[in-house]
Amino acid sequence: MKYTEKQVNVPLCAISTTSGLVNKTGTWKFAEPRFVDRISPCNQQCPAGEDITGYMYLAGQGKFEEAWKLIMAENPFPAIMGRVCFHTCEEECNRKDHDEAVSIHTVECFIGDYALTHGFKISDIQPEKDKKVAIVGAGPGGMSAAYHLKRMGYATTIFDSHQSPGGIMRYGIPPYRLPHTILDGEIKRLYDIGIEFNMGVRVGTDISWDSLESQFDAIFIAIGAWEETQLGIEGIHKQGIDNALDFLHQINLDKNPKIGKKISVIGGGNSAIDCARSSRRLGAEVTVVYRRTEKEMPAHWEEIEMAKEEGVQFLFLATPKAISGNEHITDIILEKMVLGDEDDSGRRRPLPTGETFTIACDGMIIAIGEATRVADLPDSISKKNGVVSTDQMGHTDHSKIFAGGDIIDIPHTVTHAIGSGKRAAIAIDQFLEGIKAEEDSLTQFRWGAKGNVSVGRIQGTTQFVRRNPTSEVVDYTGMNPFYFDHRQSTKRNKIAAEERLKGFQEVIKPPSQEEAVLEAQRCFNCGSCTECGNCYIFCPDNAIKVDPDGYGYIADMDYCKGCGVCVNECPRGAMKMEFME
Amino acid sequence: MRKVITGNVAVAYGAMLSDVQIVAAYPITPQTTIIEELATMQAEGLADFDYIRVESEHSAMAACIGASMGGARAFTATCGQGLLLMHEMLHYATGARTPIVLANVNRAVAAPWTIWSDQTDSVSQRETGWIQLYCEGNQEVLDTTIMAFKIAETLRLPTMVVLDAFFLSHTSEPIDIPNKEEVRSFLPSFDPGDLWLNPDNPKTFGGITMNTDYMEFRWQIQRDMEKAKGIITSVHEEFSRMFGRIYHQVEGYHTDDADVVMVVSGTVASTGRDAIDSLREKGEEVGMVKVKTLRPFPREEVIATLKGKKKVAVIDRNFSPGATGIWAQEIKSALYELPEHERPLIYGYIAGLGGRDISVNTIEEIYKKTLTDDRPDDVDIWIGVNYV
Repeated sequence: MKYTEKQVNVPLCAISTTSGLVNKTGTWKFAEPRFVDRISPCNQQCPAGEDITGYMYLAGQGKFEEAWKLIMAENPFPAIMGRVCFHTCEEECNRKDHDEAVSIHTVECFIGDYALTHGFKISDIQPEKDKKVAIVGAGPGGMSAAYHLKRMGYATTIFDSHQSPGGIMRYGIPPYRLPHTILDGEIKRLYDIGIEFNMGVRVGTDISWDSLESQFDAIFIAIGAWEETQLGIEGIHKQGIDNALDFLHQINLDKNPKIGKKISVIGGGNSAIDCARSSRRLGAEVTVVYRRTEKEMPAHWEEIEMAKEEGVQFLFLATPKAISGNEHITDIILEKMVLGDEDDSGRRRPLPTGETFTIACDGMIIAIGEATRVADLPDSISKKNGVVSTDQMGHTDHSKIFAGGDIIDIPHTVTHAIGSGKRAAIAIDQFLEGIKAEEDSLTQFRWGAKGNVSVGRIQGTTQFVRRNPTSEVVDYTGMNPFYFDHRQSTKRNKIAAEERLKGFQEVIKPPSQEEAVLEAQRCFNCGSCTECGNCYIFCPDNAIKVDPDGYGYIADMDYCKGCGVCVNECPRGAMKMEFME
Repeated sequence: MRKVITGNVAVAYGAMLSDVQIVAAYPITPQTTIIEELATMQAEGLADFDYIRVESEHSAMAACIGASMGGARAFTATCGQGLLLMHEMLHYATGARTPIVLANVNRAVAAPWTIWSDQTDSVSQRETGWIQLYCEGNQEVLDTTIMAFKIAETLRLPTMVVLDAFFLSHTSEPIDIPNKEEVRSFLPSFDPGDLWLNPDNPKTFGGITMNTDYMEFRWQIQRDMEKAKGIITSVHEEFSRMFGRIYHQVEGYHTDDADVVMVVSGTVASTGRDAIDSLREKGEEVGMVKVKTLRPFPREEVIATLKGKKKVAVIDRNFSPGATGIWAQEIKSALYELPEHERPLIYGYIAGLGGRDISVNTIEEIYKKTLTDDRPDDVDIWIGVNYV
């Protein structure tokens, strides 16, 4: 037989007689990969408990309605939030260690505006329950609680002494930061879902707390802090001296109050800046007088920057000692201060020097802080240091009464108020359902360790699939930054400073769709699976499979050798290795 | 279509016309313009393949093996150090019986660092089980690339198309480019039979094999290499019938009446033709043999062509340190079986390493030395070395 005609009894190449799946290489491992849903630092930080990484992912794909619904699961005011929230989430953003934090508020602002433009409606209302909740205060905290309770099926009625709902958002924030069209647009949705608003009704005066208690199954109080802290100095009652809340109230009623030509604003917080920037718009020369230095100012740095752009002057290390003038203010006598040791807030405290000087002005606005009028609160609940005492979820020591917003011991921001309203809604629901709120059950729906909670996590209604959620927070070292390019954040356009001073039009231009999508795509989506496929592609054993039941991937432990490549290549820390028993 | 193109562009045309489905390659001078041209063809819609970017030539070959195991027609190109880095995978491609086509631009190896031509890179892969086809001109490069797929897929053996750096890779010639329909009728799409990664019938290929079977797998490679000689010839003939150009594994030039025959490969054959013409004009009875296939080595044809010649001068553009040039070894080995009265004296010459020219004068010098030396030296003669 010719050499080339001979045969052997094997195929051309060695072929297994069965599928290679009989070789269960998974028996070799001593560690296993786990798909986990970790918490991003931004989600942990958000006082309103929003799922930021989730809605960034959806927005980055152009799924704006789904992104909006995801925000709305936690917070009824995306368009407002995108403007007035001081976005501390961005300070926590892991991307800041990569190039620059994601401009989260830009995306939120766009999604909020997009929903208003497209007339999105709230649709996830649960069947009506036979319990009624009274909400006292139509500010961010009260409306947040009402919104969540209404969606849970409770009949909710809001009482507020003002003529229009919004609280500090309507009467305390100037329209150049938050146009009333935006505010009205988002509040209208709450009317649309059947929340009852009783405006112009002051509980405790027009209707008694007792009668409220008898008519409703639970009460949530969030009446805010509307009492300006007074300066107890000589001449404080002269004409031309106003306080921040009254002044901003007038601005927001569009009354263009008559003010002097040379205004001094006393204080270093956001209200002080609001007053200063508003006064500039009314044509005054403005000096902000603050007893510490710029570094210690509680106001947000972007607000300070914009105030400077608009010509606001700053006088640091000075505090008023007396007011001069006959009937009307003409001068302020100031005492020079120096900085001493750090106080409890970590800022260096101002110390008097005894040395005084005088500045001339024909108007002064006091913005040194606001407090709750304790007399407006029911006697039946305990208070301490001017605020209502509650547990972590806002429950007072009165079984039916819960409290939130500026009247409890949390930072005085709109976002914190919204978060407190949501926490109280959860607590009220548990109270009315007779569920004892165990500490363990609360940690399940917390975003990490800072006490911010997610309704989506409790109800499982989130549009962004989160599997095996854990309380672990993922930091930059837990990411694989190789998979992320370097790209700077979207720079928001502002109208020119001289243009701003002509009125109260919005300063920061709303973002375009393109800007918002590009920014959303910068998000690392820390800790959550975006189905990027790295684990699937890199697994040397083909042990990672697309989950046939829906979202993401599963690891087939029969074949996973536990090498950990998948975990290493996961860009966003949504996997981890666990040693086996 | 007639076009003036370089050898590298000819390779790209060959692969494109062959409807290659996967290209996985890593750039390296002087090969790079092959894959650049292919990438351009793909971008312009002339070719419909997936281009896999890889981090090394080792990975390029690994990707081609995977693609071929997946039933795709796979192609890569490299040269010099790149081919050396592929070495492990070259063996694997053969054992896995993946009919990959690789274009290797002959580049001398480092150190010292160089990009110029010699055959050391490809002859070093002699034992990997790849069919190796050395080309003389750009037309042969294009035609051989197309034929290589047919040869490879018929035999399930990987096939290397070899062309000299710069002399071909970067030199333009007018060549005929066949049209795609004709090539398709010559080269039907790749049918992997049962030997592929079929998701509907999952199997493991090339898994561990015991000493009871290993030799049988390897023997089949040898058997099919032997078959390859006939297959290559029939593919050459079929190509000739369709496109009118004939190629041979062993091609003689004025050998019939020659006493002395030069044996060459690659572009040296072109220079050789001029040298033979020149010598013949001077009355010398000299001929030349161009060998196209290093593997399988066409020993029968070599014997038939050189039987009874007085002297054979083998010009190697490569060498095996401690032995002789590779082609000289092969010729000696083939001719040894001739009876002594028909067995030529075999003279080995090393020339043109690292891109040094092998000119008409070089070949004439080799001829004269062969003519005047009664017997070959014990070792190859190095031509053109600047001794001091």
